[in-house]
Amino acid sequence: MSERKIKWSYMDHWRSNGPSGPVDQWHSHKTMSAFLKQVKAVGFDAIDTFDFRIWQMYGDYGGPAKYQEMVQDHGLERIVNTFHAADYDPRNYAPHIPETHENILEDFRVTMGRWSEIELDNIIVMPATLYYDMEPITEDKLKHTAELWNKVGEITAGYGVRLTCHHEFFCGIQSEPDIDTFYSYTDPEVVSLFVDTAQHCIAGLDPVALYNRHAHRVSGFHFKDTHNRATGDDHRHRPDSEIMAPTTGKWFYEMGTDQGLVDFRATMTAVRDNGYTGWISVEHDKANKEGGDYSESTAISRWYAKNVLEEIYR
Amino acid sequence: MKDSLRWSYALNQWNLRLDAFVRHEDQQRALKTVSACGFDHIELASGTGRWDNISRPEVILLNHGSHQGFLDFLRTAKVQGVSSMFWDPQAPAEEEEGYAFRSTANPADSDAIVEWAKPFVDFVAGVGAEQLVVRPVGSAWMSPPLGEDGIKLVGEVWNRIGELTSAAGIGLALHYDCLGAVHTADELRGLLSATDPATVGFALDTAELTVGGIDPVAFYRENAERVTHVHLKDTRYADTGEEYRMPGAEATMLKGGAGRRIERWFFELGTEGGLVDVPAFVAALRENDYPGWVVVESDHGGNPAELAMLNSWYLQRVLGVTK
Repeated sequence: MSERKIKWSYMDHWRSNGPSGPVDQWHSHKTMSAFLKQVKAVGFDAIDTFDFRIWQMYGDYGGPAKYQEMVQDHGLERIVNTFHAADYDPRNYAPHIPETHENILEDFRVTMGRWSEIELDNIIVMPATLYYDMEPITEDKLKHTAELWNKVGEITAGYGVRLTCHHEFFCGIQSEPDIDTFYSYTDPEVVSLFVDTAQHCIAGLDPVALYNRHAHRVSGFHFKDTHNRATGDDHRHRPDSEIMAPTTGKWFYEMGTDQGLVDFRATMTAVRDNGYTGWISVEHDKANKEGGDYSESTAISRWYAKNVLEEIYR
Repeated sequence: MKDSLRWSYALNQWNLRLDAFVRHEDQQRALKTVSACGFDHIELASGTGRWDNISRPEVILLNHGSHQGFLDFLRTAKVQGVSSMFWDPQAPAEEEEGYAFRSTANPADSDAIVEWAKPFVDFVAGVGAEQLVVRPVGSAWMSPPLGEDGIKLVGEVWNRIGELTSAAGIGLALHYDCLGAVHTADELRGLLSATDPATVGFALDTAELTVGGIDPVAFYRENAERVTHVHLKDTRYADTGEEYRMPGAEATMLKGGAGRRIERWFFELGTEGGLVDVPAFVAALRENDYPGWVVVESDHGGNPAELAMLNSWYLQRVLGVTK
């Protein structure tokens, strides 16, 4: 069998019900083991994780390398990407505010040191603060933001890790012109784009067109679906529009969902035609909302990848 | 699963009550989950009424038009077929049975039960499945001990139905469960002796036997030629005090904790503290070139998708079965 061009990683959102009520997989070694078994069983090759989990990796497992050993003991290859979910604050941590940049740069120097015991492909960031903390979005703010990430990208590149930007529909850089302007000011050598199919759809963009325009600097994907586009001021709700937008109780669904807005066949065709090889991450955060189930969504998303998308490109 | 053994998955875990598993899209989600876990055949369990539209032959056919229509429905989810169907003639059902409570232990019920078997025989054969898996007798607490003669009467009913299944080109497998009136290893041997090996096989359920105090590996090795069907699942508990005789044992023992606060009897393969030696059992199947289906079952142990995925992981990583 020829080497696969695409491998599948699972972004580690998860909830399950245990004897003590709803828990996530980091609740105990036992729940982590059950999570990893399920992800492996349906055919994922690896996992992605969040930066803020590093404390549990140290506290519960002895560090990222030891935690990764557990991942590997369950049959998965490794941890591919980490998501740096920063708690943006205009007072001390805001990419469009140059006065906060040194603080952010120092954060990444420390962060990359913590991760250096394992090999990561990407560190993923939301490149701007929440929309309501950045608006109005001006060219200067986009330029300041780009300057920051160029510097951060050099730091992460020093550790062999690609810095890549993930544009949530509620972040300051989510519209098509703002995204394009932002990338025009960043260095493609050190700042990449991470395409989240659902987030772009919610923001009213065509993720395939966006991908095709920036394919040369796309370093990964979150494949997930949505049923709704953001309307009105959906993108302006504290603390987080993914949870608080008044129009929509559940934004994200697994690939293959009925009424999904993402055209995955077209996306996979574009992935093939752009010659992308490597990892695609599957995500369906908050899958348990409104009666959903993480286990089932994970199985069905991998079913869809195998039976629909791998028929296009594998 | 790509293996010399044939693996299937039981859907009973998803169908917890009459209106919980009715919409076709919900059934498709379960089928895709099973498929993603590497299983391309399923076992159905009998039910009753218009809500049980994946559990009752006539309702399945009304929903899908034909046997082929039902198979097409399964194949939409990349599940290729049905390995088997479970049927308990003692369970109350509408349709032909009209909620008559009958028992294979009562000779006066024999003709009706044989008649009731016919839609199941036709359906199992019609969808190209291999085994009609049956509960051979009702619960022990419901009647006095059967004795040797009583077991023979039960066997006669199944011999008659075995003629029907053989004529239809399918197998008939008697399934042991831990509450049944045929309970001890000797009683089970008696039932197998009372039935025709040419037409009536045994469905060995590893957890049910273990709960009932019978070692599934030893019993398989002793009766390998009669075993035509397998349900593979684990348990952490055995019936240690003839709990199967508790009045209303379905509710008081299996669901009510047996007075020991047991919240759940059946577990996924590889569970901590599991009493079934699954690797030894599967090795015994391989040594005997077991030709039948091995149906992995969750059986009301927890979240259906989670258990299917954990069972799949165990098959792949512990038993070395390639998906």
